Amino acid sequence: MVVMSIREAINRTIAEEMERDADVIALGEDIVGGMGTAGGPEAIGGIWGATGGLYARFGPGRVIDTPISESAIVGAAAGAALAGKRPIAELMFADFVGVSLDQLWNQMAKFRYMFGGKTRCPAVIRLIYGAGMNAAAQHSQSVYAMMTAIPGLKIALPATPADAKGLLTEAIRGDDPVLFFEHKAMFGVKGEVPEGEHRVPFGHARLTREGGDVTIVTCGRMVGFSEKAADKLAEDGIGCDVIDLRTTSPLDEEAILDSVELTGRLVVVDESPPRCSLAADIAALVAAKAFTALKAPPQMVTAPHTPIPFARELERAWLPSPAKIEAAARAALAFRS
Amino acid sequence: MSQLGRDDMLRAYRQMATIRAFEERLHDEIKTGEIAGFTHLYAGQEAAAVGVCEHLADDDYIVSTHRGHGHCIAKGCDVKAMMKEIYGRADGLCKGKGGSMHIADVSIGMLGANGIVGAGAPLAVGAAISAKLDGKGKVSVAFSGDGACNQGTTFEAMNLAVVLQVPAIFVFENNHYSEHTGVEYSVGTANDIASRAEAFGMKAWRANGCDFFSTFEAMREVLEHVRSGGGPAAIELDTERFYGHFEGDPQRYRGPGELDRIREQRDCLKAFRERVGEYGNVTSDELDAVDSEVAQLIEEAVSEAKSAPPPPPEQVLEDVYVSY
Amino acid sequence: MPLKAFTMPKWGIEMSEGTLAEWMTEEGAPFARGQVIALIETDKITNEVEAEADGKLVRILARAGETLPVGALLAVFGGDQPAAEVDAFVAAFRPADARMAASDTEDMIADAAAETAIPSEPEPEAFDDRISISPAARARATEARVDVAAMAGSGRGGRIMLQDVEQALRPAAEPRLNGPFAPVPETTAFASPVARRLALRHGIDLASLSGTGPRGRICKEDVLAAAGSVAPSDGAVEVVAMTPMRKAIARRLTEAKQQIPHFYLRRHVRADRLLAAREKAGKLASINDYLLRAVAIALREVPAVNIQVHGAAIHRMPSADIAIAVATDKGLLTPVLRAAETLSLQEIAAASAELAARARSSKLKQEDIQGGSFSVSNLGPFGVEQFDAIINPPQGAILAVGAARPEPIDDHGAVRIVPVLHLSLSCDHRAIDGADGARFLAALAKLIEEPERL
Repeated sequence: MVVMSIREAINRTIAEEMERDADVIALGEDIVGGMGTAGGPEAIGGIWGATGGLYARFGPGRVIDTPISESAIVGAAAGAALAGKRPIAELMFADFVGVSLDQLWNQMAKFRYMFGGKTRCPAVIRLIYGAGMNAAAQHSQSVYAMMTAIPGLKIALPATPADAKGLLTEAIRGDDPVLFFEHKAMFGVKGEVPEGEHRVPFGHARLTREGGDVTIVTCGRMVGFSEKAADKLAEDGIGCDVIDLRTTSPLDEEAILDSVELTGRLVVVDESPPRCSLAADIAALVAAKAFTALKAPPQMVTAPHTPIPFARELERAWLPSPAKIEAAARAALAFRS
Repeated sequence: MSQLGRDDMLRAYRQMATIRAFEERLHDEIKTGEIAGFTHLYAGQEAAAVGVCEHLADDDYIVSTHRGHGHCIAKGCDVKAMMKEIYGRADGLCKGKGGSMHIADVSIGMLGANGIVGAGAPLAVGAAISAKLDGKGKVSVAFSGDGACNQGTTFEAMNLAVVLQVPAIFVFENNHYSEHTGVEYSVGTANDIASRAEAFGMKAWRANGCDFFSTFEAMREVLEHVRSGGGPAAIELDTERFYGHFEGDPQRYRGPGELDRIREQRDCLKAFRERVGEYGNVTSDELDAVDSEVAQLIEEAVSEAKSAPPPPPEQVLEDVYVSY
Repeated sequence: MPLKAFTMPKWGIEMSEGTLAEWMTEEGAPFARGQVIALIETDKITNEVEAEADGKLVRILARAGETLPVGALLAVFGGDQPAAEVDAFVAAFRPADARMAASDTEDMIADAAAETAIPSEPEPEAFDDRISISPAARARATEARVDVAAMAGSGRGGRIMLQDVEQALRPAAEPRLNGPFAPVPETTAFASPVARRLALRHGIDLASLSGTGPRGRICKEDVLAAAGSVAPSDGAVEVVAMTPMRKAIARRLTEAKQQIPHFYLRRHVRADRLLAAREKAGKLASINDYLLRAVAIALREVPAVNIQVHGAAIHRMPSADIAIAVATDKGLLTPVLRAAETLSLQEIAAASAELAARARSSKLKQEDIQGGSFSVSNLGPFGVEQFDAIINPPQGAILAVGAARPEPIDDHGAVRIVPVLHLSLSCDHRAIDGADGARFLAALAKLIEEPERL
């Protein structure tokens, strides 16, 4: 076991996979930085620091800085994947998925199906998402619910350095297109990472707290918030299963339903506005398949139906919090059946 | 004089004749209502597809448009499997899952027809990135029309290709109509698409897309430039489509007598016959023989497609992922 | 543990007060989760109150034997808080449920008065139209006399929904907590989270299992199957999963016992004349067939027992479709003898034999077991003397028949020993009153004791 941050875990994983397989290439805006300038490469190594050092090791043929052209970046990743490479493209902010949406939605996601299963598109798109750093409405969105809804894509969101490494390795080596979501406020989060090869299968959630009274289902940054809420509730003898989904597509249905069948109470925590959200998706799944086990209606802790505000106090009010999660769990416990 | 030998000429004619016969027959069959969905016919533009693809091998890449049957045949896709795909049959080229607009055979470098105008250009640049890394002189061709040349994706792709100096070739088939609107209206640089490519920093050629030899010779220079590491290139081919944007298009945008005129004056098969007549190495009878073989092939393709079984319902759920 | 109020709990909708019968620990003593802290008595039960978490009984307020209303403060749980803090807590305490408990009692008194008094039409309260409330919630609130004026609705913009009104009518939740679990250690086995936890609990080595879950993952079912097949060392327990049929029987009978207010009317009848008549007719029909014929006629005479109960509606059935209980090796089946009141004894004998045979050879069709307005269950052939049967919903009643035994009876002042059948009629008290049941039994008894009409 080695202690490292999520940023380091991602950086090391990309480097190891590029070392292992010459077909792995990386592309994106400023993943090197400094091309065509007096200062020269590597000016930044990615604005989040996740791709530092790759250019020096693997060169401009395989570590490709691009102009600001999200459609071309994602489309090039898709085309290169059809032509035998394993590209890892970066969308600097997940919000920019809008600029490139056709290439993800109508092209990359659908090639295998439309072409009768006779091809594969093993591209990984890294998207940096999430609120909490006052980046305001166009640079803070979560996006993963919309992408989860697209058949043909897989969606992964690590909450720990070990999962960042395990899920990214799995994404790169897998043959399907993957959207890999990295939370901008979590790059510095440190944790233990197994040494050597470490793969985490998709569709396999992680229980980070265990208890028999409330099931809390979540992913990404909300995992840490949910753990805080669970620990507070444990002081009053209330036990929570906190399920870190790790991937929303494929979804670990069994982990969710098995837990709710024991606790009878569901709280879903989603860092997004409520309509057509991941929270709504999971609540519907549980209501449909574990209805008789439920002792209270599913509780959904989400952001409100608004864009993300700028001022610190407003953004804090917009986001879910451990207190809001705790209140939802208590509301479920207080439901009179 | 052409540098093409006899066999190459016959081969080129066969390709163009196959495309023409394929599309003409589809035009008739679609009227019966048996073919589902939207179909966009390529008849009239054969010289463009064949003039480009005769320079390409199986490991070169092409990305096509919604009007993709011609590119598909020219790149070497199986004609009968294509017909079955258009008829939505279980053993169509894409198992009936894609249809006319998404017809593909990635194993021979045909990275798909595409239902989104302009989507092909970034994909082709991606394939060109891969080709450059492989270092074997492979190229990647993006077919676009005068419609796609206005999409943001086309501009992004051209710039990226130049910045990365990848072996991408942007072929603009200017058939003067993007859907129901004329090129003189919709393209700001009216009828001059090639200079857009030049403005992005790549060399651009122009040729007659209704004359196989004009296209072929220009493309020879393009490919020399690109395969030898000269960076991306573009070519604008002036051509005509004999049918509407889609089958069922009333074509009210055509001028009086326009359809007859272009069939008469800009038919690439007629032009080919005249040219080889001048060169004197292929006879008219030989071309007729190719025509009847092609007619036979198309006849078989249609009758086999009509009697082939449709895909079973379970196919709906298959081939979404490699593994889930 | 932070300071927490221990109040008189509300067990069941009708409870309004309870008695703190005995403290099982002392003021100032610590207690562990699960430990019994007090005994509380109501007029129906005495219950042990267990601690839900570790803590300390920092202050006792209720004396042993004291009766207090629901929601009253009995004691304070806590940790090492100073006495002044505990005093402040006690002073600030307000019973939460007091109002609702009181209003429940008032309603009960009002209802009782209404039964005896001449019902007067109270003026319906004008509903405040400014309150945002769904139609169903408004109807329910009016019907149940719930004051919604101060209610915070859960609908959009604070709109009051049916769920909010229903919540207000129910007692406060007193969930029994399972508490936090110790985290299960990491494992390299590819198993679902619950599977790992169950494996630890049942002492199963995950490495020994092959997974049948998605992508070959070991799932809960795999672990439970392994747990089921692990025999404890002091004797093998054979675990047999219920067949679908047994599950269905289990479910139906559980529902029947839970939801139908059964009452039982018992009567014994002389069977001597019946047995003689049967002897004389050459024993072509079984005793049960005679009983079926008698039941069919009795149902015609007392149609109040020939009913089905559907929610708040009673269906009076046009004919006596009698379900006959047939024991098969797969479980109890109840094929229906249709329009029994139109059949002669011989016809009943033939039909019941045919149904029983088909039942035992699993050849019954859906239409054979549908419907039925009344059931007869006869365990006499097995030697059972008397028993009470469970009603098969939606039927209204079931007759249980035991074996005929020689018993002394009073025959016009003399004691004689004659064969006697013990009958037990189970009735659904929602739809059948004691008088109806009794009249049916009387009619039935007369038919059995004077069998000429059969």
